Amino acid sequence: MTLLWLSVGFGLVTSSVLAIAAIGLSLQFGITNYVNFAYGDFMALGAFFTYFLNNEVFHINIWIALAIAALAMGGFGVLINQLLLGPFARRFHSTHYVLIVTFGLSLVMLNVIYSFWGADVRFYLLPEGTAHHVGPMLLTTNQLIVMGIAVALLAAVHATLKTTRLGKSMRAMSDNTSLAMTSGIDTRRITTITWFLSGALAGIAGTVLGISEGNLTPAAGELFLFVIFAAVIMGGIGSIYGAVAGAVFIGMATEISAAYINPAYKLDIAFVVLILTLLIRPNGLFARPGTT
Amino acid sequence: MTYYIFTLVFFLFDYFILAMGLNIQYGITGLLNFAYIGFVAIGAYVTGVASLPANVAGQHYILGLGLPFPLNTLMGGLAAMALAVLVALITLRRLRTDYLAIVLISLSLVLYDFCNNYVSLFNGADGLYNVPAPFAKTLGLGVNGFIIFFACLTGVVALIMWFVMHRILRAPLGRSLRAIRDDHVASAALGKDTFRMQLKSMMIGSFFAGIGGGLLIQFGGSFNPTAWLPGETFVVFAVLIVGGAGNNIGMFVGALLVETLLVHLPAFLPEIPGHPGLIEYIDLALVGIVLMLMLWFRPQGIVPERLRRTASFGAPERPDEDAGRLDQTAAIAAAVGAEADHDPGSGR
Amino acid sequence: MSVADAAQSAAGTAMSPALRCAGITKAFQGVHAVNGAEFDVPEGQITALIGPNGAGKTTVVNILSGAMKSDHGRMYLGETETTGWPSYKIARHGLLRTFQLSRELGGLTVLENLLTAAPNQAGDSLVNVLLRPGVIRRQERENAERALQLLEVYGLYRHRDTPARELSGGQKKLLEIARAVMGSPKVLLLDEPMAGVNPALIDVLGGYILALKAAGVTVLMVEHNLNVVERICDYVIVLAEGRTLATGRLSELRQNTEVVKAYLGEVMDVSAAN
Repeated sequence: MTLLWLSVGFGLVTSSVLAIAAIGLSLQFGITNYVNFAYGDFMALGAFFTYFLNNEVFHINIWIALAIAALAMGGFGVLINQLLLGPFARRFHSTHYVLIVTFGLSLVMLNVIYSFWGADVRFYLLPEGTAHHVGPMLLTTNQLIVMGIAVALLAAVHATLKTTRLGKSMRAMSDNTSLAMTSGIDTRRITTITWFLSGALAGIAGTVLGISEGNLTPAAGELFLFVIFAAVIMGGIGSIYGAVAGAVFIGMATEISAAYINPAYKLDIAFVVLILTLLIRPNGLFARPGTT
Repeated sequence: MTYYIFTLVFFLFDYFILAMGLNIQYGITGLLNFAYIGFVAIGAYVTGVASLPANVAGQHYILGLGLPFPLNTLMGGLAAMALAVLVALITLRRLRTDYLAIVLISLSLVLYDFCNNYVSLFNGADGLYNVPAPFAKTLGLGVNGFIIFFACLTGVVALIMWFVMHRILRAPLGRSLRAIRDDHVASAALGKDTFRMQLKSMMIGSFFAGIGGGLLIQFGGSFNPTAWLPGETFVVFAVLIVGGAGNNIGMFVGALLVETLLVHLPAFLPEIPGHPGLIEYIDLALVGIVLMLMLWFRPQGIVPERLRRTASFGAPERPDEDAGRLDQTAAIAAAVGAEADHDPGSGR
Repeated sequence: MSVADAAQSAAGTAMSPALRCAGITKAFQGVHAVNGAEFDVPEGQITALIGPNGAGKTTVVNILSGAMKSDHGRMYLGETETTGWPSYKIARHGLLRTFQLSRELGGLTVLENLLTAAPNQAGDSLVNVLLRPGVIRRQERENAERALQLLEVYGLYRHRDTPARELSGGQKKLLEIARAVMGSPKVLLLDEPMAGVNPALIDVLGGYILALKAAGVTVLMVEHNLNVVERICDYVIVLAEGRTLATGRLSELRQNTEVVKAYLGEVMDVSAAN
């Protein structure tokens, strides 16, 4: 029974990381209507930038470094959209081209990270953590902070979407871009803001992934990508809450199953979930109408 | 020096084969197969375990059939094709383009993960090695002699496969696939079973991928996961797009420029001290940038798709004037092939 | 007796209809686009499917051609039931359609567009491509001859090697029809063939459609332009709010108060002056 609770604990942490990543991807996918295949590399870049601040050149506290990296990655997201993805998306009617470009961006980013940091494993400088008993589970301070960040971000995103004008515009665009445009919504501005959020969330997700895994490698984000896809698709394109629900489900499923099968394959469980979702309910659990 | 050139020649022919395979899937049919390298890998691995004798010490793997060339390579091709059928059956029926791309790239990552971890399959992270070099013993070839020989053999295989692909693309099948690429709703409305044709396209393309992979493992004698991170699919896309998606000559040009020049040439440059692997990283990043530039400035590639002219169908040309005088009814009736079982009283 | 049966016995036709549907319903997220459409399309004639906007005409066409599945109801092509069939299967059985917004195969030449439509091509099979090239070559030549003849009829011959995406709007409409004819249809569904077409071309298209009837093809056309309907159609089916409202000749329907009411405010009387 303890093993199960331990797994549940891990599951909560994985779910938190996954949820942060999934929100970022879902926001951007919902607004731009194409997938960013370099998202995993955005995560990795964010993680390494944090490393740069926390354990390479400077020795800034991990959580502060995380915040700085998040802002930097937000700016990076805006830059990539302005210079690369936006122009391609506007020029070609078929989404094929921009998808290939994001795929190419992934290759470029991965190798740039390799160029600067090599393929070695890196570590963050983390404050000493103590283990806490939370009910029957055992969680460290850092793990609790990660979960806290996830909850805070979810609350912030929820508040933004539901109450602010920005949020309403985003929801409108996600539902029907052309209608939103004719309703006077400044779609370019919303898109820019969305890319900022997506980049920032990716940066945070990559960093907390490195914290929870205990190490950093350049390809970690890429290899995690399909798990994020599974969460987003399971939840339904365009639905943030669905993405979070998917993240929780998959986070739990992978960690709990790891207690019973070879843990090396735990992430592959996510792939099974992805396939099953696409076969049974391709619109996901909470898809918005009109998003097929 | 000669061996270096022949190594480049091998990769030229091999990637020509790989590009032809991706071309029928993406260039002709419009399927974004982001998992292409996974099929190449399956072809390589299966060829490997088909060639290795059973139970070589130090390696764990399935099968071990000790088959000679070309049987082992054909097995690799068929294995890749079988995987394509499985994937297509699950994904093609109901997925829109980006979902398909997501599933395929996920498949690629999962396959990679699986082969890396499941040691008894293809020897895990170490991969397969000491794969017998075909004909090396019988011809008494040393390492370098083999390079020259195998590069030429690959060239022959590439030629045969080019001939087959040429036939397919020129035939109605090729045309139907392009129709599906352009508008699958209209194609279905004209009687094309779009699912079955996309399946055929995946199968043929994956067969080519498997053969290419099989040749790869026999050339180098080994194959392991570092050779095929999912990003490698992108290199094949680069070959396609730089050369010119949709036509075979473009594939060859693309293979020449991207694979041979861009990817492999720098591998022979001296290492920068203190930075192992840096040249390779910069090189791959460059491939990505070249592709994006190409997509922006010349999306049709260096050798654009050329459409077939009427004369090539063998039908006699008609006097080049508009109808008007032509008896429309008779012409349409003849063209429609109207049957004689209509009630003559029905409103003529 | 259904509306369709009544109309048919009134018209006195004794043969089985080329196309038939009964009890068709289709809802999108709770809203019924089609709610009990039912009619028979007489063989060898030109039938119009008319009705005010939102009557569900395009949805019915999509269902009849297999592009969409109905929620309830059945449909028949001749004697064969085609309920639930995918569009390619219905096309192979002789029902072809055109689209309101032309769907040319842009990357193919005009000639290739037609060749794609040729039925029963041995060259679509991989086995044949590899093993029977001679058969394929012969078929291609025969199909090309037929296609070139059709292109000449429709005035597209000089564009035979042009990529279809480079044609003008009017030419694309002609291509749309020529391509469907190439598929040797028994029944041809035209979805608003006159939409957005300039008056000169309307006459030409009307002539082509009459020629199709003379060649034995059954035509069902969705059309808003009642002037055209009056000139070339033998029979009219009126759809309103997703249901069959009435059937018959246009002159009779103009007297039908229900039909006129359905068109409230729309161009039913004005068209007589066109």
